Amino acid sequence: MNTAPATNTAPITKVGRRANRIFSGLILWVFLGLIAVFTVFPVLVTLFGSFKTNAELTAGATILPSVWHFSNYLEAWKQADFAKFTWNSLFISTFTTIGTLLLASMAAYAVDRRSFFGKSLYVSLQAATMFISIGAVVIRPQFELMVKLHLNSSLWGIIFILISAHATTFFILIGFFKGIPRDLDEAAYIDGCNFFSVYWRIIVPLLKPGLGVAALFAFRNAWNEYILPLVFTMTNPKLQTLTVGLADLRYGTTAATQTHLIMAGACLSILPILIVYAFANKSFMQVTGGSVKG
Amino acid sequence: MTSLRKLGESYSFILPSLIFTLVLGIYPIVWAIRYMFYDYPGYGEEVFIGFGNFASLMRDEAYWNSVVNTAVYAMGKIIITIPLSLILAVILNKGLKGKNFLRAIYFMPTVLSTAVISIVFFNIFNSYNGILNQFLLKYHIISKSIDWLGPDLAMVTSIIVAIWGAIGNYMLLFLAGLQNIPDDVYESASLDGANASQKFFYITIPMLGPVLQMIIMLAITISLKGYESIMVLTEGGPIGRTEVMYLYVYRMFFPISSSSTMIQQIGYGSAVGFMSAIIVGLITLGYFWLSKRLNRIF
Repeated sequence: MNTAPATNTAPITKVGRRANRIFSGLILWVFLGLIAVFTVFPVLVTLFGSFKTNAELTAGATILPSVWHFSNYLEAWKQADFAKFTWNSLFISTFTTIGTLLLASMAAYAVDRRSFFGKSLYVSLQAATMFISIGAVVIRPQFELMVKLHLNSSLWGIIFILISAHATTFFILIGFFKGIPRDLDEAAYIDGCNFFSVYWRIIVPLLKPGLGVAALFAFRNAWNEYILPLVFTMTNPKLQTLTVGLADLRYGTTAATQTHLIMAGACLSILPILIVYAFANKSFMQVTGGSVKG
Repeated sequence: MTSLRKLGESYSFILPSLIFTLVLGIYPIVWAIRYMFYDYPGYGEEVFIGFGNFASLMRDEAYWNSVVNTAVYAMGKIIITIPLSLILAVILNKGLKGKNFLRAIYFMPTVLSTAVISIVFFNIFNSYNGILNQFLLKYHIISKSIDWLGPDLAMVTSIIVAIWGAIGNYMLLFLAGLQNIPDDVYESASLDGANASQKFFYITIPMLGPVLQMIIMLAITISLKGYESIMVLTEGGPIGRTEVMYLYVYRMFFPISSSSTMIQQIGYGSAVGFMSAIIVGLITLGYFWLSKRLNRIF
């Protein structure tokens, strides 16, 4: 008991300090807890709400459903056409991700490994598209272009426009290129590779971690996109995505709003992303965290 | 010859990206710059009117109302989000038990769809049968339903939803910034007897300086441009109380939902979009200039 003399000389201050520490620790955890509750509250409302009946949702103040109605999902999937919405969202997100990664990785490869006339102009152009926004104005000429190309009646119009916004992915990938040593390129050239085969055989395999992070980012953006598919599918409900179909349900063709279907539909939209996030949250955070470093 | 070939290779790898950017990113802006000098409702004749659209814009009270609303919206969001997320980042930067789990929880809103979560928030805040009101009534915290989306509170509610989506994002940006502050600084401050709040104000804030400025600038631009959440939550209503700049721009081109009506104004709308971009640019530059000056004073 080495501390015994100290306790004898100042017993009150030590007890006081300890109480103080417990108290401030308590405040800290209450603060963290409150924000955590605030954060998960709407997600829990959606999750539990998706199993409630419409009546229970609109009348009762309960957290857990009294009876778990899995049939809400069946109803949403079949009657409210969420099968189609999900397919459209999946189609758009998949091809947008592939296109974005291809365009951005090719451009980042050339920009990082070569010097050429107009390089800095190209990079500034990409940076500018990230920051300058005149809002929904641009969707009108984009739409007219797609009509001319006969792409307005398919999902490809939306996909091409989403791919065109690949500046963020480009900058994410440029960051990862710094980690691939140029010696590898040189060695491959000596072994008879050319500019293209170095990209395909050396860069792409080594860029996999970066491509993975960028893919999550691109997929999530396309999956969550609302305004572009909304405008594009106004005259063509067959092409509606999950976000648009869900919002449309609120304005409903029927008199009463079907809140239980909205909740089930919202779950269909947020659950896939949440599940991926549960396993890969570090990668999601890497994109945001990386953007202010340096 | 080889250098010419190299150049060709480089350009061929840039080309797909460049074509997409020019055709779908730059051309629409050029298109808008042309139309902002025209009177064109979207069909029929295009009439060149010079700066006529901008003259009408100056007199457009609804637009300037939306500009004021945007300022209130952005300010409210930033004033609460930035300190909260900074405090969270400072707490979760240290060796707290479960910090990775908490980080993941707080960052979660960032991965979810703004539109979808705004629909959920609509059901939470709805004054009739809304989930929040039902809870408050059940536990007798309130005796009468609160009109969360009514004229008085709609803006506050919209800001709360915006804060919900933003805290985790800025927390993470701050966490990245905090990594750059070396631990020894805190250690020597502890030896000198500094407490937690002293360390926060005399070490964290000053050493975060440039990163803090950049994050606030980012927050300003993002908040001024945001309209998706409001579009779903309140549609800019009631009586224009939550109408923000870029939602007003949207309205000039497209209806809010497939069932609502609208008056299309291509020429005027282009001018409104351009003006909004200028306002965002000016405010951002203004902040940049101000923070540089404040830096010199302190």
